[in-house]
Amino acid sequence: MADYYDIDDIIAEEEIVSVVFQKAVNGVGIDPSAETDCVEQGSKVELPFWLAHELHIRQVTTMKLPPCFNQKTRLELGADAACVDLRSRCPYFYEFGCKIAPLVGDRDMGSFLLSAFKNRYQEVLAKAHTASFAAASKFLTLLTKEETNLYEAAQSSMAAFKKWRVGGPRFQRAAVLGRKRKPTD
Amino acid sequence: MAGQSDSNPSLFSAEEVEFMAEDELIEIVPNMRMEPLNLICGDYGPFFPQMVTQVPLWLAIALKKRGKCAIRPPSWMLIESLTRILESERESQEASQVLPFHYVEISRLLFDHAREDIPDVYMVRSLIEDIRDVRLHKVETSLESFEGARSSAVRIMNLSAMEVNVVRPFVGRALQAFYKHGSPDLIPNPERMSNSNRWQQPADPGQRRPLRKR
Repeated sequence: MADYYDIDDIIAEEEIVSVVFQKAVNGVGIDPSAETDCVEQGSKVELPFWLAHELHIRQVTTMKLPPCFNQKTRLELGADAACVDLRSRCPYFYEFGCKIAPLVGDRDMGSFLLSAFKNRYQEVLAKAHTASFAAASKFLTLLTKEETNLYEAAQSSMAAFKKWRVGGPRFQRAAVLGRKRKPTD
Repeated sequence: MAGQSDSNPSLFSAEEVEFMAEDELIEIVPNMRMEPLNLICGDYGPFFPQMVTQVPLWLAIALKKRGKCAIRPPSWMLIESLTRILESERESQEASQVLPFHYVEISRLLFDHAREDIPDVYMVRSLIEDIRDVRLHKVETSLESFEGARSSAVRIMNLSAMEVNVVRPFVGRALQAFYKHGSPDLIPNPERMSNSNRWQQPADPGQRRPLRKR
């Protein structure tokens, strides 16, 4: 609940995960394939993470590892982390990974996320302070939201520095000072 | 202090760093006679024509704008010393210590307000730009190396105020991400979790693995 008002955190919890119900649940319409308003035991349903999380800690469902953390993605990230399109798989890859790791009991998730971030960080760093926006736009589509934030932080501070260096109006005149006398109307 | 630049994640804007640099002392040669100025930050003066005296940069610029003094460029802003600094910057990975903390801002203020007081202003200017580019590149290469270390720390010596300010938002976020993903919380201890959260399903004892050794 630390980031209750953080919009990125809220969106990250919207990610869909597939869960298996351990108990039959009556009176809810969360399974679209069911004909009645109840979910049978053992049925697989795709739910947003925030709902799945609550059901999980009440032991109603068990969670499956989402496809963006499967073995194939791990191999791809191990081969060449910088070229993997993580945004299309999960725009909040790291945030979501941190959230889901304790629930699916994946002990390797932390080190996996760290190594993925390490390898991709170099690419972000190399592009962030140098490349023009046009050159980097293709690369930007591969980044997750967290990496984009990092990239934009570097870009905007560099742009602010360049703007300061080139100069421009040193003093901004307050709007009230410009007028010598009030218009008579 | 820096609340005005909210879209910019940096703590200080470049203008604010420049403002801080204006407190650095600089030598001026006044061409008027004036009583000493007793300010909160110190006493300056008295001012006599052709007598060198030290004042803060903001005061020097204010006097310069009114045509009351000539500013003496600091000793590091001469071509010989700048050439030497540039060479030593290019040779070693360590940043040199000769330049003052606010060299980017001081040089820009002097170029803006006291061009005629600096000998060979074009040469000096391009030398300073070269030095700045070399140093920024050095910072970037050293940032590349820090993700390799286990401790996620980076050691860069003798950075100047503006250089720190340019890389601060990026480095801050990157370190935060490294810290978050490297923290042992992500590799949870099953016993502690089942105690702290009574709803928590007890983890499968078969998968239990001790915490990472530090």
